[in-house]
Amino acid sequence: MSETAYSLKESIRHLPRNIKESIIRRGGGTAEQERAAAVFGNMFLHVHPVRVHLNSLRAGYTFGLGLISFYLFLILIASGLLLMFYYTPSTELAYRNMKDLEYVVSFGVVLRNVHRWSAHAMVAFAFLHMCRVFYTGSYKAPREFNWVIGVCLLLVTLFLSFTGYLLPWDQLAFWAITVGSNIAAYMPGIGEKVRFLLLGGNEVGQMALLRFYVLHVAVLPLVAVVLLGVHFWRIRKDGGLSRPLND
Amino acid sequence: MKAVNKEEMFPKDPNKTYSLMAIVDGETFNVEKGPEDTVQSWPHLMVRELALFLLVFAVILGVSLIFNAPLEEAANPLHSTNPAKAPWYFVGIQELVSYSAFLGGIATPALIVLTLLLLPYLDRNPKGTGVWFSRDRRVATALFTVFVVVMVVLILIGQFLRGPNWHLYLPWS
Repeated sequence: MSETAYSLKESIRHLPRNIKESIIRRGGGTAEQERAAAVFGNMFLHVHPVRVHLNSLRAGYTFGLGLISFYLFLILIASGLLLMFYYTPSTELAYRNMKDLEYVVSFGVVLRNVHRWSAHAMVAFAFLHMCRVFYTGSYKAPREFNWVIGVCLLLVTLFLSFTGYLLPWDQLAFWAITVGSNIAAYMPGIGEKVRFLLLGGNEVGQMALLRFYVLHVAVLPLVAVVLLGVHFWRIRKDGGLSRPLND
Repeated sequence: MKAVNKEEMFPKDPNKTYSLMAIVDGETFNVEKGPEDTVQSWPHLMVRELALFLLVFAVILGVSLIFNAPLEEAANPLHSTNPAKAPWYFVGIQELVSYSAFLGGIATPALIVLTLLLLPYLDRNPKGTGVWFSRDRRVATALFTVFVVVMVVLILIGQFLRGPNWHLYLPWS
């Protein structure tokens, strides 16, 4: 074999191409094979099948509702991480942080608005997605368990939104969470204890703010990501999106 | 169509219930088509997904540039707002609580969640899968629609028609 291929000069000459090839690992082949490799050779795309049924692409079938919910979740993670740079879970500082976002931080208002409206929209779209799955009978075998995961995801979404609701520490937040957590206290026998566990006390205060903050930025997002992973994985294991039986 | 007699090539077997009747010229159904009506995910699926993401992001950004998220005065545990309302998705439950604390606040939500979790194990008839509002599932469709409408109406009442002390008020009064 030629030794020139390994000379330093040659290496530098082919540097861009070699770096690119080491990252994307394309084997070549027909155009069809190239496109297939683009999907399964990519860590971020490999949740997709290489080929997808035409029915799954019909906008009028899914309206993209589940995907919209997922995109809103991504937007919420991105905007939420940025908000974390400006937020302190303290009853003294939380509300002042809100005012700073409004008047001091560049585009702070827009950042908070994006997070707030995406959160409301995600609750709505997750519910609409559930309606779509119901009305198309997509929870029938073999997709029963994915429906169960989906119901759990809806509950996690509601709880994520609820815990985030307290964080601005304004009157709206404080009394909404007071009302919401009082509903939990109606549980017979253990109601008061459940509320105490949730709030870290009998009333909404510093402990409640800290608990809601930790649930909102760490625990619940983690649960949501894991459940989403299972939800998406099961779509493929259950044979892709549902479609008419005789198809 | 052109039928060709091949009887001498494929003699009829008296022990079999089937036999070759004719050979017909024509195309099979899968010519120029992927297996089982599929297309490549790249680009057909992913281009659509990307377009949808851009749309969602643009809409959220547009809304956020126009409407500000609500921010009231700083929280004051000594001075309650009247009425104090839960977040909109729980206002329907709050409306039920105003009729009966246990039935509305605990029993009904628990029943709803339990029914949703068990639904695919209770309704197992595969007929009508993959079709919107299938005629084979009229009862299920009707029941679920009643559930959705009741939820939405309760939320609308709680959100827009309830004023101080949870009395009925019209939105403009």
